Amino acid sequence: MLAIALGISAFAAVLSSYAILTRELDLGYLATNPASAVIRVDSADDDLVKAILQNPEVSDAEPRRTISGQIKAGPAQWRNLILFVVNDYGNIRVSRLVPESGAWPPAIGEILIERDAFQVAKAKIGDAVTVKTANGVEQPLVVSGSVHDVGQAQARMENIVYGYINLETLVQLEEHGGFNELNILVAQNRFDEDHIKRVVADVEKVIKSRGHDVYRISVPQPGKHPHSDLTGVLLLAMSSFGLFVLVLSSILVINLLTAMMVSQVRQIGVMKAIGGTRRQIASIYFVQALFLGIAAVIVSVPLGIVGSRALCRYMAYFLNFDINSFAVPLWVYALVALVGIAAPLIAAAFPVLRGTGVPVRVALSNFGLSQTSFGASAFDRALTRIGGTFSLIVLALRNSFRRRVRLALTLLTLTAGGLFFMLALNVRASMINTLDHMFTARKFDLSISLANPYELKKIERAINNTPGIKRAEGWFTTEMSLSDRFNVVALPTDTQLLDLEIIEGRNLAPGDIDAIVVNNALAGHEPKMRVGETVVLRFMGTETTWHVVGIAREAFSPSVAYVPLSAMQQFYPGMVNSLRLSLVNTDDDAIRDVRTELDRNLEQQGVRARGSSTKEESRFSFDQHMLMIYVFLIVMSAIIGGVGGLGLMTTMSLNVFERRREMGVMRALGATPRIVWLIVVVEGVVIGLLSWAIAALLAWPISKAIGNLLVRVLFRSGLDFTFEPLGLLIWILVSMGLSALASFLPAWRASRATVREALAYE
Amino acid sequence: MISLNHVSKTYETPAGKFAALKSIDLSIEAGQFVGIVGKSGSGKSTLLNMVAGIDRPSSGSVAVAGTEIHGLSENKLALWRGRNVGFVFQFFQLLPTLTVAENVMLPMDFARSLPFRERRKRAVALLERVAVGAHADKLPATLSGGEQQRVAIARALANEPPLVLADEPTGNLDSITATAILDLFRALANQGTTVVIATHEADIARVIDRRIEISDGALVNQ
Repeated sequence: MLAIALGISAFAAVLSSYAILTRELDLGYLATNPASAVIRVDSADDDLVKAILQNPEVSDAEPRRTISGQIKAGPAQWRNLILFVVNDYGNIRVSRLVPESGAWPPAIGEILIERDAFQVAKAKIGDAVTVKTANGVEQPLVVSGSVHDVGQAQARMENIVYGYINLETLVQLEEHGGFNELNILVAQNRFDEDHIKRVVADVEKVIKSRGHDVYRISVPQPGKHPHSDLTGVLLLAMSSFGLFVLVLSSILVINLLTAMMVSQVRQIGVMKAIGGTRRQIASIYFVQALFLGIAAVIVSVPLGIVGSRALCRYMAYFLNFDINSFAVPLWVYALVALVGIAAPLIAAAFPVLRGTGVPVRVALSNFGLSQTSFGASAFDRALTRIGGTFSLIVLALRNSFRRRVRLALTLLTLTAGGLFFMLALNVRASMINTLDHMFTARKFDLSISLANPYELKKIERAINNTPGIKRAEGWFTTEMSLSDRFNVVALPTDTQLLDLEIIEGRNLAPGDIDAIVVNNALAGHEPKMRVGETVVLRFMGTETTWHVVGIAREAFSPSVAYVPLSAMQQFYPGMVNSLRLSLVNTDDDAIRDVRTELDRNLEQQGVRARGSSTKEESRFSFDQHMLMIYVFLIVMSAIIGGVGGLGLMTTMSLNVFERRREMGVMRALGATPRIVWLIVVVEGVVIGLLSWAIAALLAWPISKAIGNLLVRVLFRSGLDFTFEPLGLLIWILVSMGLSALASFLPAWRASRATVREALAYE
Repeated sequence: MISLNHVSKTYETPAGKFAALKSIDLSIEAGQFVGIVGKSGSGKSTLLNMVAGIDRPSSGSVAVAGTEIHGLSENKLALWRGRNVGFVFQFFQLLPTLTVAENVMLPMDFARSLPFRERRKRAVALLERVAVGAHADKLPATLSGGEQQRVAIARALANEPPLVLADEPTGNLDSITATAILDLFRALANQGTTVVIATHEADIARVIDRRIEISDGALVNQ
């Protein structure tokens, strides 16, 4: 019952978590009244807001300002910062913030930090931090409180700090201008994306008609938390695994009931001999299976609920949202009860029908060791050729194959555990390998984004005055649009700091002017982006024509296009807005020194850096995303491994139970209890090793297929598969240890039975 | 060779206490072929188990070949049994996953009585002695009942024990095969091995040296 209860518990835990998390994530997000659209404009004043609100389709419009900068606590290094300037903290109606602790609202000279970003900022409430914005000056601010901004991606994962200040503090930072963003909320059909886009198009016309520029419009998926899909996929995968664990547990029931039916075959014969029908006898065992299911459900539902709470808390922490209610919907209880009761009944069907179908004569004549009829098949005879000269080892080896259906079912559960474990390690290794490839293409150690486009000559002077830089290139990063906006990187065609992996066509080459290389994400999203095609892209309000010359593979990347830096010259002659640096030394101290020195030298040239990130910082963010999948697979393999261990324990207990007489015979022939114990343990270890061998054979193709599927669904990206040999080594040790552990108790029992009791067993 | 003094054995059963042996005093000389005869449930198997150290007396003492076996631990008893007692069961009780030769080698492996390489040679020799040498590499299930019992006797002789005990060794065999098996035991006794057979069959008088009758746990005729 323990095994089936464990299976139902796992199923109940993931199913409840699925129900709770999908509900709470979206509920928590909707409670903030998230914006239907965010429109980036040159400036947003009260008159513009009033004009927009004239449209009855718009229920609210709230101006904000979002600027990027850097933040530093104490002697720590600068961290990238996104600073939100809110008009009236007492009256936030769209995309609400939830105050957590400390001050609310922030006073002049104070900053609130998103609760998940404190770890990134390495600061706490009450600390003095230094903030530097793109155009302003370094300014000390006091961290006065913590807020929860449900709609933001996790700061830890993005390796970024979200800060919240008021308009007066913005002035203190010497950032000019007021608000530049409008959070729009539509009045009706809030979850209809097409409707939102139509309303926003009308709003855009109003904005432009009043002489304002519209820089960007983003319409997030309505009513869905930014990580809702990701969480949903993950939880769905968890539920599938929960069901899988339940199926594996049912296999244990099949093993158990088959053995029980064999042990009761004489009793069945007697019942038939005195007039019991097959149906009547079968119903006895089905009722037994029914009680087993009911008992397992009663035990496992509370366990599942406890498990689901732990899982929900972990996921909520990981995804930075709060759970207001752990209430489990009724349908979850109903489904768990149904599946929990049905599983043992279904599992019982075959053994019960087979056991009750034994003819009376056969049932009543069943006695002695010969009942096992080992030796009848060609496989049995083939088995006599394996082993060796030491009969104890031979015995353990061949005994493993005596109940082959039971062995196959046991192997299935154990192999599944091993397979998932190796899968977890292989997927992890492959993700690391994929990221390694991705970061190998990036030959720069430090990337600096500038507040505005600046003359390259000035930047070069600053770089020349900064020691520790091996090579520097000025790039231009911007956005263009076809059907949707995407990032564009303009870089020297002879760049030595980016080595794209071209999968079709060619890379940019000296002399290219209107050539464009797109990455696989963009090529997948825009069907027109094919090698040899000419595409017309909108850029800065004008239409520009480009020839697609190549497609580059970039794992885990958003849509990006690469164009020659010279192509930007007509718009920004001699200017760049970002830097890529290859450094002489790449240790933390050396990078910090270069950052500080270069920052100072750029300031001297009148160039302001907006933010910077090292290769390691960018990598950290990716690694955090991958950790989620890795932890998930490891947890699953532990659960399945646990079921497998229980399965093996059941199998060994049944084997020992059925062979009690044999154990007695061995003892009568001079076997000590220790030898009997050893034979049983060796038999268990043989099964463990077999499961390892099967899992090892399957690990490569299955890891590759599932790893690719998981990463494709979660990140829309392929995986550079690599096999982790360490997984084989670890699992052989785990499977042997698990097998020895699982067979320890049955072996101990076998060795404790007296010879007389064992010989008397029928 | 065998000495039982005031041996009693009582079992606790759901129906109450059951006295299987009642103050048995028995002495058997070395090289004797003894038949313990009695009905089902008379206590003959329990008596045999006492001599083999398979069961322990509730009271009294058992000495076999100079060893007080009732005081030995399970481990020591197993080792002692492996070297001193060969046991033959009614239903042969050959291990089905081992070949005939491997079954015979099993007590040698337990007792480590011979160097590793000589064990199979001895097993085959014993099998030839009981006329089933040709079946050495077959599995027990492919042999007839009589052949299986011959293998069981070969297994009982694996470590050249001074004592062979057999519990209803012919109970599951036809009369011709049973006669052949009893002749085998007679031959063993002739070579100096003490042989004790528990049986409910009366027609073993022609082969045994001594008949011991047991009824309701007590010896009624020695």
